Amino acid sequence: MWLISIPMILWVLVFCYIPMYGIIIAFMNYIPGKPMFSSDWVGFLHFKTFFHSPDFWHVIRNTLAISGLGIVFGFTAPIILALLLNELRGRIFKRFVQTVSYLPHFISWVVVASILFATLGNEGFMNDILLRLGFIDKPISFLGEGKYFWGVLTTTNVWKDVGWATIIYLSAIAGVDSELYDAGKVDGLGRFGMVWHIILPSIRPTIVLLFILGIGGILNAGFEQQLLIGNSQTREYYEVIDTYAYKYGIQLGNYSYGAAIGFLKGIISLLLVLAANRISKKALDTSIL
Amino acid sequence: METTGIKPSIGSRIFDAINIVFMIVFMFVMLYPFINLLAISLNDGVDAARGGIYFFPRVFSLDSYTFLLKNDRLFSGLWVSILRVVVGTVTCVFMTGLLAYVVTIRNFSGRKFLRILFLITMYFGGGLIPTYLLMVQLGLTNTFNVYWIPGLLNAYYMLLMASYMQGLPDSLFESARIDGASELRIYVSVVIPISMPVFAAIAVFSSVGHWNSWFDVILYNSNGKWDTLQTYLRKLLLEVEALQQIQDAQAAYSKYRNISSNTLRAAVTMVVTLPIACVYPFMQKYFVGGITLGAVKG
Repeated sequence: MWLISIPMILWVLVFCYIPMYGIIIAFMNYIPGKPMFSSDWVGFLHFKTFFHSPDFWHVIRNTLAISGLGIVFGFTAPIILALLLNELRGRIFKRFVQTVSYLPHFISWVVVASILFATLGNEGFMNDILLRLGFIDKPISFLGEGKYFWGVLTTTNVWKDVGWATIIYLSAIAGVDSELYDAGKVDGLGRFGMVWHIILPSIRPTIVLLFILGIGGILNAGFEQQLLIGNSQTREYYEVIDTYAYKYGIQLGNYSYGAAIGFLKGIISLLLVLAANRISKKALDTSIL
Repeated sequence: METTGIKPSIGSRIFDAINIVFMIVFMFVMLYPFINLLAISLNDGVDAARGGIYFFPRVFSLDSYTFLLKNDRLFSGLWVSILRVVVGTVTCVFMTGLLAYVVTIRNFSGRKFLRILFLITMYFGGGLIPTYLLMVQLGLTNTFNVYWIPGLLNAYYMLLMASYMQGLPDSLFESARIDGASELRIYVSVVIPISMPVFAAIAVFSSVGHWNSWFDVILYNSNGKWDTLQTYLRKLLLEVEALQQIQDAQAAYSKYRNISSNTLRAAVTMVVTLPIACVYPFMQKYFVGGITLGAVKG
């Protein structure tokens, strides 16, 4: 048994624990090519540089704004969709809608970016329709102006994952005890009353759990989508912690600086998840870890 | 929820009608971007620049697709993508399944240690830059191996598979052990066949992930030799050089004059999307099961 385990332990040590150890370059001035410990120790210099950098505030602002919008819309939309799907009477129709709703989840961000370029570009159908309806008199550059970025990104995120996120709620709704419905019927509840007094309270633990998880992941404001959809004109609105660390750490070769920002984010995220777990234990008596 | 027995009231019927209309609009929103891109990809390139193509091509043309059929970069990307999905998925499912089996064996003293060792990685990691430097030091950059070795084992998949295997009766393994079968043998001939639903779910997650990933390609394999289909599309979208090559081809062969970057991008997007769109509806049972399993597990 250990014989099977040893290669796996080696794998996890190399691919997961060595990078954790590698975080110490965040406290050094690491120069690639040189042995790691011949680099100078600089303590918290990189962290200070980040806090004082002119980008700091808009990076934090973008991360929290994009995540916040994600929680407001991306979190509520699947609940509403799941409740509406549950009210559909035709089983085949319901299954069909569900299947269609999963499609965007399975496509890559590159494909989504291609779709956005085609639909929101100057000749895209969005501008075309708005022009024809007379709402605007010249095409809007949805992807070229920073002020649209959060809206475009949030809409895209919701579009991509709303169907997928209903799976969990629908399975929670399916688990509602049928005796509760019978009791509701005896009490003379209508359809809306059933949703409000029976379904919603029954799936409340699931909702609260996913909400807490969402708060725990608030620093994950997306990465691939920003890199693909963002451009130099929208940088002030798309740059989040992850893309910033990538840009400085890898593209500009400031490995130590990038590692420091990554480490900072990792620590805060871990604390948030631990806090979320604690809240969930208190509120719901379930542990999410 | 069906409230049979009583005739639905008028209000209830109106709601049903509105709900059905809403769902139809919803499906339209989900599908329309793909329909629109399909129409653009089948349109003449020069004409498409005028805009206004919605559902059907205005000037029908297959030129974008015939151009792609002669494009070596598309085919090498397709080949690398397929190879990556097959190798990456098979190795990940087999090895993570084995790990899940090992951490569920009751009489194995190290199972708790192993489980915790992997669970920690779900909540804390080295992050992008230390991982990148490790790959460079291991010599995995600009190789195919970087696509499957770092993804061999996955803590989240391990959790899902282990929680499924824990529900299996112990007697199944015991009788095989009494017959003198090795653990590896039990895994292959007992565990895998009866855990098919969860293996299928993980295979769906893993293969979709491999097919769709592009960032690790540009991060680790920047020399372009192992470009996947996704990175080819990304280059067409974001990089000028990729479009330049097309313009060179157009200058050399007049028959390609009627394609444009827009129609070509749309055609590649269709090629990238089609395999997934054809396969995922049939895998629904498995991935829904996998998600639900994860939810029960918490």
